[in-house]
Amino acid sequence: MRNVVVTGGSRGLGLGIVRRLVDAGYRAIAVARKETPALTAAIEHAERERPGSLQFVPFDLAEIDDLGRLVKRLRNDFGPIYGLVNNAAVGFDGALAIMRTAQIEQLVRLNTLSPLVLTKYVVRAMMADGGGRIVNVASIIGFTGYSGLSVYGATKASMLGFTRSLAREVGRLGVNVNAVAPGFVDTEMTRGLDDAHRQQIVRRSALRRLPDVDDVAHAVEFLLGDKARSITGTVLTVDAGNSA
Amino acid sequence: MSVKLDVLTQFEQVAKEQKRTLAPLSDDLVLLDSGLDSLCLAIIVARLEDALGFDPFAAEDADFPVTLGDFVRLYEDAAHAAP
Repeated sequence: MRNVVVTGGSRGLGLGIVRRLVDAGYRAIAVARKETPALTAAIEHAERERPGSLQFVPFDLAEIDDLGRLVKRLRNDFGPIYGLVNNAAVGFDGALAIMRTAQIEQLVRLNTLSPLVLTKYVVRAMMADGGGRIVNVASIIGFTGYSGLSVYGATKASMLGFTRSLAREVGRLGVNVNAVAPGFVDTEMTRGLDDAHRQQIVRRSALRRLPDVDDVAHAVEFLLGDKARSITGTVLTVDAGNSA
Repeated sequence: MSVKLDVLTQFEQVAKEQKRTLAPLSDDLVLLDSGLDSLCLAIIVARLEDALGFDPFAAEDADFPVTLGDFVRLYEDAAHAAP
């Protein structure tokens, strides 16, 4: 079984990705602070279908100094890491002018610094193991912008720049690096949107609806799969045509 | 196998894999002139960590060595310090 590490894999989009990867034959390793009831149910289901195919590793991704030890532990416990999905992120909004510096710092730490440092250690392991796949979960906010999400948008744009340069750096080692840019997806993160905003987003989307978690999970699965072997350094937008 | 031999073996192996022409290996060879680029050196460090179980560059204050001799010495010192 190919091992794929999914950060923030206990809920929302991350859990959807984890479920999809298990169905596709991978061993998904969900890294998150806490096991949620939904993840527990998914693990129980996976144990019945294919024992060992869904693992939970409790870890606080804000603990940057421990990320190297986390990767060492993952390799020791599960073997070579084939794929990394940098999905964990926080998404609180607010006008920049009144945002506390501590909040800005927290957003940058979790959404940018943590995935960069985690990728550093995973790429090192992939170098030793002879290749792999990295998928960064960005957001259309990284290139379209949205009022109240300036810091979030900055962190997501950083993942796009990171994707392109790292793809060039590690391509010759057989490591593919891509990003997925979801539009507004119905998850806990977007629950704060009121109905009027949601309707506005739907109206402005070419397909007149929001993409769902499975749509994004399928895109991640594709980028991890053998059929995407010649795709690297690119961004796959899954937004039902919102930014078209 | 000595640590030095491990290091030199990795230099030769990675040069071969990455299709690089490796300069003759000697203690005073400047790493920048070895024929390997920084990515090759990163692969060597990653592989040596797997083989030896330690990474002398893990400490944030470690400077990257200039010559092959310095590089080998860093690993030999770390091997002595390893528990």
